[in-house]
Amino acid sequence: MEVITGEQLIKALALLAAGLSMGLGAVGPGIGEGFVGGKACESIGRRPDEANLITKTMIIGQAISETTGIYALVVALILIFVV
Amino acid sequence: MMVSSLFSVIGSGIAMGLGSIGSAVGEGMIAMSAVESLGRQPKASAKLLRIMIIAQAVTETAAIFALVISLLLLFQAGTDSLFKGITYLSAGIAIGLGTIGAGLGAGLPGASAMKGIGKQPRNSDVLTVHMIIGQAVTQTSTIFALTVSLILIMLAPTGGLLKMAACLGAGFAMGFGAVGPGIGDGLVARFANLGVARDPRNMGLLTRTMIIGQAITETTDIYAMVVSLILIFVI
Repeated sequence: MEVITGEQLIKALALLAAGLSMGLGAVGPGIGEGFVGGKACESIGRRPDEANLITKTMIIGQAISETTGIYALVVALILIFVV
Repeated sequence: MMVSSLFSVIGSGIAMGLGSIGSAVGEGMIAMSAVESLGRQPKASAKLLRIMIIAQAVTETAAIFALVISLLLLFQAGTDSLFKGITYLSAGIAIGLGTIGAGLGAGLPGASAMKGIGKQPRNSDVLTVHMIIGQAVTQTSTIFALTVSLILIMLAPTGGLLKMAACLGAGFAMGFGAVGPGIGDGLVARFANLGVARDPRNMGLLTRTMIIGQAITETTDIYAMVVSLILIFVI
């Protein structure tokens, strides 16, 4: 059995943490964007004439909901490549 | 040898145990809405029963993926490499957690289709088509999880501590990462179905918006898959 150094242990835990960061970080944005898209579809069902306006607002809303997912991605990549 | 086998058996249990949660709840929601609609429209019972079974069959897909991986892991139980044991455990975690979202997500449009048919049975054909499109897109997150699980199972049996931690991380990233987008896709499809039930003439517009909405919801899932593939192949 080879000896495990402290540095290796830190790197290994950083990789595990990267997985947890991206995994848990994707839960919220996924559900949040689903709410935005769902309600946009509901509004279009009610007022089909306003479809363009609603789609535009939906995309902006989803893009903003997405930001926390991107933070999680950035943190995961830092944990993989920098730590 | 004992320890490595233990990991693959635990992975198998995690895959099937967690993997059945989403589909079971999703199918329950569909049946619940179908029963509610039956109370409103007893004459449409044959139609409701038929479409309920179609919707539940599609929702079941996620659990079947988990079953396949679970059985694959059980057959691998004789492994003598600790690294392979860890990758089997990671594969179980990825598919187990990864099916929760898609199972729940596929249940939501199914339930709203049942509700719509209960309100207006003559829209049932349009609603069924729309429901199946919505449910099919919802399954993407499970398919990503299945892909990562199969890659983890097929990995060559060599690797040290770093590689083990990376594989475990990949399993968690893909597993948890598929939960949110799965439920989110289901929510989009649910409300789109309610819109179609209200007025089937808007179906084209609603399908378009639904697919755009679901594609954007799916992005976090794709990030999770990218991170897990980096963890598997680059580290």
